[in-house]
Amino acid sequence: MFSYKHFFFVPSLRLRSEQAKTRVFMAILLVCFAFGNLTAQTKMSSSEVAVLKAKVRAQSETTETISSDFVQYKHLDFLSNDIESTGKLAFKAPDKIKWEYVTPFVYSVIFKNEKLYINDSGNKSALDMGSNKIFKQLNQLITASIKGDLFDAEEFTVTYFKKERKSEAHFEPTDPEFREFIKSFHIIFNNNGEVEEVKMIEPSDDFTQIIFSNRTTNQPLSDAIFAQ
Amino acid sequence: MIRIDTSSISVLNPYFSDTAQDYIYKANISAFNTNFGGIFVVKKLGAKHHRIVFTTELGNKIFDFAFDGDDFKVNHILKELDKKLLINILRNDFKVLVTESPEVEKAYLLKEDTVYQTNILGKNHFYFSGQNQLYKITKVRGGKSKVEFLFSEINDNIAQYIEISHQNINLTIKLKSI
Repeated sequence: MFSYKHFFFVPSLRLRSEQAKTRVFMAILLVCFAFGNLTAQTKMSSSEVAVLKAKVRAQSETTETISSDFVQYKHLDFLSNDIESTGKLAFKAPDKIKWEYVTPFVYSVIFKNEKLYINDSGNKSALDMGSNKIFKQLNQLITASIKGDLFDAEEFTVTYFKKERKSEAHFEPTDPEFREFIKSFHIIFNNNGEVEEVKMIEPSDDFTQIIFSNRTTNQPLSDAIFAQ
Repeated sequence: MIRIDTSSISVLNPYFSDTAQDYIYKANISAFNTNFGGIFVVKKLGAKHHRIVFTTELGNKIFDFAFDGDDFKVNHILKELDKKLLINILRNDFKVLVTESPEVEKAYLLKEDTVYQTNILGKNHFYFSGQNQLYKITKVRGGKSKVEFLFSEINDNIAQYIEISHQNINLTIKLKSI
């Protein structure tokens, strides 16, 4: 059977002193510690999943509006630093979303009535999502990133994890065409069932990570925010 | 116009030449009357090795190309854009962006500028340098300009604005450093 011992103590390695032994022991301890940290994220039991679902659903049902700031990190493995951008999000039930980048460029998308309205530093355009299933799924994911409530969509296989007081749901698209864009979509919830962080992982393992802050719910948001 | 002896002359495009730098641009592409934006990323990985990636603002990858010496590799491209003709146009344009020191065939003095005639992928490209700074590259065929590359607001070997405009097809790529 495989054990750490076999992994670390290759037969040719002779330890000449107690000091060297200690060093190896420390190294193993360090590895175990790192490994232990990884497993701090454990799979949820079915009852824990039910609790999370109920919490998120309750949150979602009582939420009329959300506004929040966000920081986005685009990770490309060959870059020295992630590309950082910041912006604001506005949501109004049932389905109006404005996703707006403020720095380092000005760009917004509004999802409304199955349409996508883009304002790229003043250049405006609109796209019809109605006929495009990729757009529909993307919209689903964006709505889910805000409200979290996407658990029973048949387009995704969902696995649940817990990590300290937070919950994490991993959505894997079942549609092969959509899987070409997104390998996995992670949503991290705080203890109240609110979305704190979203991570979109591409087939190449490059990813986009979005961290929300300054979230306010059920403050009146005028329709003008969602007009283009 | 004065011809210069080219034996000791070289021209340098320094705008993507630093391996320590992540070159990130907000891009606006207008192609055949449609406009779309995205993030244009260039990274130098080795002496003649560059990656060029284009993503949407939300982060989804549209294409991912690698230039390594004479090799060109498409790591990824959206299915809708996976057309040989389009990929060839992009490859030719981006090859010019990442070629640092093309061989100079002829050089001239033209008013305040020095003009270098070079060859990239078998095509004539003229490099225009004023006040010791490269500000324009023109791809010429049959005496006519086919593609123009403009570099402006240059700071510390970074061109804040780059514009690639095609004269014979309806394609313009505008890049703004972010």
